[in-house]
Amino acid sequence: MSEEGFSPRYDLDRWSGIITKPGHKLEGVNIRDKILFFPSAKGGMAAGWAFHDIRAKGIAPKALVFGVTNPVMVQGAVFANMTITEGWSRDPRECIRTGDIVRVDPAARTIQLLKRF
Amino acid sequence: MELTAEEQAMLRGELGEPVKRALELQLEVGRFYGAKRFVPVTNVHMMGDIEVMGDSGLEHLRCLAQARVRCGVAVTTNARCFDFAYVDRLGQDPGEAAKERELIGYLRQMNVMTTDTCINYQTLYQPHFGEHLAWGDTGTVIWANSVCGARSNFEAGPAALAAALTRRVPEYGFHLDEHRRGTFVVELETELDDLAEWGALAKLVGESHQDYFAGAVFTGIKRAPTADELKHLGAALASYGSMALYHMVGVTPEAPTLEAALGGNRPTDRMKITRADIERVFAAYRNPDGSCNFVVFSGPQLSLFEMKRLAELFDGRRVHTGTTVFITTNNGVLSAARALGYAQKLEAAGVAILEGVCVYILQNLTRMRAANGWTNMISNSAKIVNTITAHRFNTILRRTRDCVEIACTGVFR
Repeated sequence: MSEEGFSPRYDLDRWSGIITKPGHKLEGVNIRDKILFFPSAKGGMAAGWAFHDIRAKGIAPKALVFGVTNPVMVQGAVFANMTITEGWSRDPRECIRTGDIVRVDPAARTIQLLKRF
Repeated sequence: MELTAEEQAMLRGELGEPVKRALELQLEVGRFYGAKRFVPVTNVHMMGDIEVMGDSGLEHLRCLAQARVRCGVAVTTNARCFDFAYVDRLGQDPGEAAKERELIGYLRQMNVMTTDTCINYQTLYQPHFGEHLAWGDTGTVIWANSVCGARSNFEAGPAALAAALTRRVPEYGFHLDEHRRGTFVVELETELDDLAEWGALAKLVGESHQDYFAGAVFTGIKRAPTADELKHLGAALASYGSMALYHMVGVTPEAPTLEAALGGNRPTDRMKITRADIERVFAAYRNPDGSCNFVVFSGPQLSLFEMKRLAELFDGRRVHTGTTVFITTNNGVLSAARALGYAQKLEAAGVAILEGVCVYILQNLTRMRAANGWTNMISNSAKIVNTITAHRFNTILRRTRDCVEIACTGVFR
């Protein structure tokens, strides 16, 4: 769960999968296989190629869940065959925490909390 | 989406497998955004370099080139990650440089013009009002939409390439009237005297409204801005705010008045920007270790006018020992800068001019930073201050004159 928006170029080390931007709310987090919740997308075009690239490197997240996003994130997710969603009926920060196991079902447009440790 | 006969033929594979896959990618994106149909485009600008696309992206281009696809619309390319004259000097990876040459070869085989510039709108293609485009670089789309009244969405590498193959884009976002109306107002109560101040304004506006569909309408402009001022404003709005359109009353073509710019929208809010707000942006940057040995004029690439100004500021001075100063620009501007003597003045001062790249996308940048002991990056571009951070730079925005002073004195200010 991030309180800050996301760009794979501005925020992410695309070789290790770690968020390396100094001061990012998720600094130090490894995004590999995670489901990431971002309120917004930052600018830039990199995601178009970069999501495909990090997939091939085995460090991609499982899904990107955005409050608001932009076409670059969508184009990049489609090209990389990565799950992406935009918009939510309630703020997930009210009910989901970092560390939870969740299921994102884009066809059903639902996100379920499955398990909390 | 409603498809024309030609689009249906593409989907059946009648124009080849690559065109079919390109249209399928575009259909998926179009569906996400509720597009009803496609719209033809007349110019494409795409990002494609090895640092961002990696081996898997290179393989994608290899397959397209081997399938002998040719782009059906004029396509230019964005800045890339190598100036081949600097590979050794910068300690970049020769293996990756070889892949970049291979990549460029594939693009050229596909009829792509490898122009290596993020300022295509300044030096290559000037769209007309209402022209539908598929452009993909941070500063280009917001320029086309806002300053030209043309129409484009952010089109990332593979999406722009798809548009070049299909000659169209899904009609959503800024291709449609309804998204082009301003959504909030920014009242300027101060004048902006440097490119960095325009960038600081953009940071304030963009960070607080980080939303692709947020449209700032600027009022209170006291004098006509220059193209480079609008370039810095737009590139930073796009970067900080993920924005693709702004209006400036009395300046941009869809904003003769505030009412016209809003187009009937009630603004979601009104920001006032004072002199104190701008000063606060500059004051907020930290320099924990005090170092200032890396000063950059890049992101976006410089225009000939910016080159002239920097040549005047650096003329007769020397970059401080141990300090690195990079300027980036494109081939066309550099040629003119040599013909007019600006490049020579800058090089005599010890400035390195890199061609066809921007600093924050350079291959091997994280290792380069560590190897050179660059902890801070100082620049007059708010955009690059925002974009280079994953390489673990501490970034500091400073006005143009201050950047030059820091570069020549070795003293931070």
